[in-house]
Amino acid sequence: MRAGRVHSVIAAGLEDPRLLARWRHEPELLRGCGVDPAALDLEALWKFAGLSAKVKHNGLRADLPLTFRLMNVAGLEIEVFASYAAARADDGRRYAETPAARAADLSDFLKDWLDFGRREHAMLWDVLRYEMALARLRRAAAAEAETETQGPRSAVAPNGKSVPGVRGEVILHEMRCDPRAVAETLWEKTPRLGDVPLGAHYFCFWRRGAGTEVHILQLDELGFYLLSLADGRRTAARISRALGGGARPAKGFLAALGELAEFGILTFDAS
Amino acid sequence: MKYLNDSNGATAVGLAYGPSAVEFIDQNPGWLDYVEMPFEQLRHTPHVAAIQETIPVILHCASMSVAGFVPPSEETIDAVKREAERTRTPWIGEHLAFVSADGLSEGGAEGPTSLTYTVCPQMSEETVERVAENLNGLRQRFGAPLILENAPQYFEVPGSTMPMTDFVCAVASRCDVGLLLDLTHFLITTLNTGADAFEEVARLPLERVVEVHISGLNFQSGVAWDDHATPAPPEVFELLGRVLERARPRAVTLEYNWSPAFPQAILKSHLERVRAAAGRA
Repeated sequence: MRAGRVHSVIAAGLEDPRLLARWRHEPELLRGCGVDPAALDLEALWKFAGLSAKVKHNGLRADLPLTFRLMNVAGLEIEVFASYAAARADDGRRYAETPAARAADLSDFLKDWLDFGRREHAMLWDVLRYEMALARLRRAAAAEAETETQGPRSAVAPNGKSVPGVRGEVILHEMRCDPRAVAETLWEKTPRLGDVPLGAHYFCFWRRGAGTEVHILQLDELGFYLLSLADGRRTAARISRALGGGARPAKGFLAALGELAEFGILTFDAS
Repeated sequence: MKYLNDSNGATAVGLAYGPSAVEFIDQNPGWLDYVEMPFEQLRHTPHVAAIQETIPVILHCASMSVAGFVPPSEETIDAVKREAERTRTPWIGEHLAFVSADGLSEGGAEGPTSLTYTVCPQMSEETVERVAENLNGLRQRFGAPLILENAPQYFEVPGSTMPMTDFVCAVASRCDVGLLLDLTHFLITTLNTGADAFEEVARLPLERVVEVHISGLNFQSGVAWDDHATPAPPEVFELLGRVLERARPRAVTLEYNWSPAFPQAILKSHLERVRAAAGRA
């Protein structure tokens, strides 16, 4: 087999992993390219395409250090990036220019590709969203002028006619693990991912306004869904009904609204 | 501008350029002898050249496809030459690999395929001859010598007629060229091909080793992979010890340049380990 032809086949397969799938189904096509099908390990080449794709995403490591560390510890990097490279080739899409856009594309892919029944996959999804939320809010904060004023907290106790709205920007994620607990084990000498407890976790990533720090709040279920519905248009009564409560919001519901307002994350307008 | 002066015969110790290296240099002035800079980085982000006001630079390259059949463009060669002259690099490290190849159609009608990652070539007499031809042409273009870095082998390359060690030996002998021995690539190759790294390293022409590379590796999906985001395993340092028993490379470079969060404490301890091994403690 001529070296130049062998190099051509390898380079073409790495550049367009769709060819690897085609050669797998029709090995004789390889012979037509001057390469003995029995001599080329297509599976290994597919994995190597994963390494190449992974290296192209090194620029994401600044925002996603835990995500990469978790993929490494769980032995997922090659599998993830080989599958991702193949998927991008199938779609005929090049990798995005900026790290933020690349992270968003990778996240879109993983959402469909991950098997959430597998512990490491579920943890990876949570850690990725955790780091992306922080990165997005921090970037937004850095991009804006330091013009934010603290503003008065809502002193008025909410009632059914109050219209709760978020002060600043929030990102809400329901997760199966606490990424902070994952982080602790990831930086140990021998990370034990199996020891990280799984369960329902409700996270709110909140930036009060321009140029301010990002808060990570762990909420209860009521607070989480309350915030997800507080859009500055719906009244407390409507939100209460949307959450299965009565037309007249219960005391506990209003108390939860009041607590969020006390913390500074919600403000109230009258309807 | 700073330039590497290794006339005292001691092995210089440096880091591959990256965010962690920049942080280390800032926090530990005078600790490193040089930073190894990828030509491709200088080409695409020329402002990084400013680091040479602080520390000498050795040029490393992945664009010349020395073991390939598609030559680099004149523009690329001219750009490498300019950077080599500007940095006054003592040598230019290049991969014994290919980074571009002819297209698949007969006659390559669709143009060559250019990759962004170097690939282990077919290891055969044909490739050895091709490397010799390529080097003959390139050497005339540069004032600094080219040295060649062994590639990591992740899979059997069809048509190969010799293992990596024999291929490196054949190229070194045929081309009379210095070597950049990447010990992690070497260990990865032996792990993936079932060879004994310590027996194989003893077969290399170590007297030709000008520079050594050290980085991490990991096992995933049944294969050992290069990984510049993790620390080198103990076996790599054992291999370094074997090399230093027989040879005195002019430089040892730690390549921990994939992660901006590479722990500075590990960087320092590995640099200390290399300095001690090279008699620089």
